[in-house]
Amino acid sequence: MSEMEPRGAGSGLDAGELPPRSRGVIGLLEENCTVCMLCARECPDWCIYIESHKQTVPAPDGGRPQVRNVLDRFAIDFSLCMYCGICVEVCPYDALFWSPEFGYPETGIGALTHERDRLRDWMWTVPPPPAHDAGAPLPREAQAAGPGAGPADESG
Amino acid sequence: MTPGETLAEAARQLPAAQCVIETGTGAAETITMDVPRHDWLAALAFARDTADCDFFDWLTAVDELDQGFTVVAHLYSIESRQHMLVRTLVPREDPVLPTATGLFRGAGWAERETHEMFGVVFDGHPGLAPLLLPEGFEGYPLRKDFPLAARAAQEWPGAREPGERQASQRSRRRLVPPGVPEGWPPP
Amino acid sequence: MAVVDLPAPGPGSGAVPDPAGPVAVGGFSLHVFDAGLACCAVEVSAALRCAELLAGPGQGADLGGSAGPDLGTEPTGGAGPGEDADPRDGSAAGNGSAPGDVPPPVSVLVVAGTVTDKLAPLVLAAYRDLPEPRRVLSFGACSNSGGPYWDSYCVTKGTDQIIPVDVYVPGCPPRPEALVHGLRLLRDECGEQR
Repeated sequence: MSEMEPRGAGSGLDAGELPPRSRGVIGLLEENCTVCMLCARECPDWCIYIESHKQTVPAPDGGRPQVRNVLDRFAIDFSLCMYCGICVEVCPYDALFWSPEFGYPETGIGALTHERDRLRDWMWTVPPPPAHDAGAPLPREAQAAGPGAGPADESG
Repeated sequence: MTPGETLAEAARQLPAAQCVIETGTGAAETITMDVPRHDWLAALAFARDTADCDFFDWLTAVDELDQGFTVVAHLYSIESRQHMLVRTLVPREDPVLPTATGLFRGAGWAERETHEMFGVVFDGHPGLAPLLLPEGFEGYPLRKDFPLAARAAQEWPGAREPGERQASQRSRRRLVPPGVPEGWPPP
Repeated sequence: MAVVDLPAPGPGSGAVPDPAGPVAVGGFSLHVFDAGLACCAVEVSAALRCAELLAGPGQGADLGGSAGPDLGTEPTGGAGPGEDADPRDGSAAGNGSAPGDVPPPVSVLVVAGTVTDKLAPLVLAAYRDLPEPRRVLSFGACSNSGGPYWDSYCVTKGTDQIIPVDVYVPGCPPRPEALVHGLRLLRDECGEQR
């Protein structure tokens, strides 16, 4: 069975039939992760395992070298996960996303701990965010840009 | 009886009681009556007979640490739709209270659960056996000094600092995950 | 208020639905016993009650060619509409089994919900009472590992602490369709072991 094949499909249920913001599985966009550890600390089930190390990046032209965190391991134990979404909400860098994929049973409980390569595969199943509800206030970015910058006012 | 009338009657019959009317959601008013331990049964009888609170909803306890345990009973009057919370404080060294089963049969299981979770003893209860906990369970789990053993035994993934492979050795405060008291488990 | 005589609940009384009958999954007949202990039971009930869901689109094509069941009526031998095999002669059609080679029904215990320490002996007794061949499917986070109650004083941290589990379905709760995926994985595992 191909690992890339979205297993939610084929059960008589299209991903398009699922409501927006369905909580099937959590995907990780590693490029956004700065290893701040907030998700691991806030997770009520303690099911996020993160390992990292520091790396010194030499700055060009003799500037001060910077130290950044490099992610070694990011794993979510889906046997414990209760799909509360606290990790997705608390991530300040938008590295975690909800995906509606739900078909990933396993025969061994250890196999339910998924590492970052599998979490990245699930990123490609993350749907685009749903449109704002009618009458909802504008997002903060549009409000900060001033009047006439909202999506309803294309000509402004 | 209106809540005001109930308070007036309570002041007359139970002078040691302290009553407060609180307005909850949906404009439902709750009368909260705090009584000393020796007035416990009298307060429940007053609620049932004078205030018409004939429906026994639940009974439980709150661990107030050094002060003891607050035993709370929620009663309701179907006729006048009046909620009542009757509360009393029992000391920690002597958590004994007379049973409410003489007034409300429904208090039987609630008192059994309160006994096994907090250790409050209800004098005169027909059978104060554990209700929900498995046989051989030791301790009173809902007391605040009963730690969650699983949290102390498991390594907290958040104990690591960003950029470190293992739990941080420098800041010892962070090694204790939320929910585990300081210094537990004992060395 | 007038006194109303309510029907006594029990199998066949109409007040309580009959237990889920044989489910055909790829030539295997699974007898699904739902130990519905908590919230996950609702999802399992939704899955087991919906014959259309179990049949899949095209009347069972996704389940390996077996007909979707009309729950609890006729025993399934793997024959579906449009196929010539006659279930009465005992042949298991679809999936290339030899004629006359009908696999015995597999008893599947679906543990759906939190297993508390007080209830654990009963789950063990239910497993022991299952006839062979038997499998266990753990449905939901609580049943897999204790889930959100992993740190509780009275929760068994996973059904596999007391009985051997064959398939774990993650979720809190998993969708009813996820149970179908889990049963399909169980089918594949049964097929490999034959």
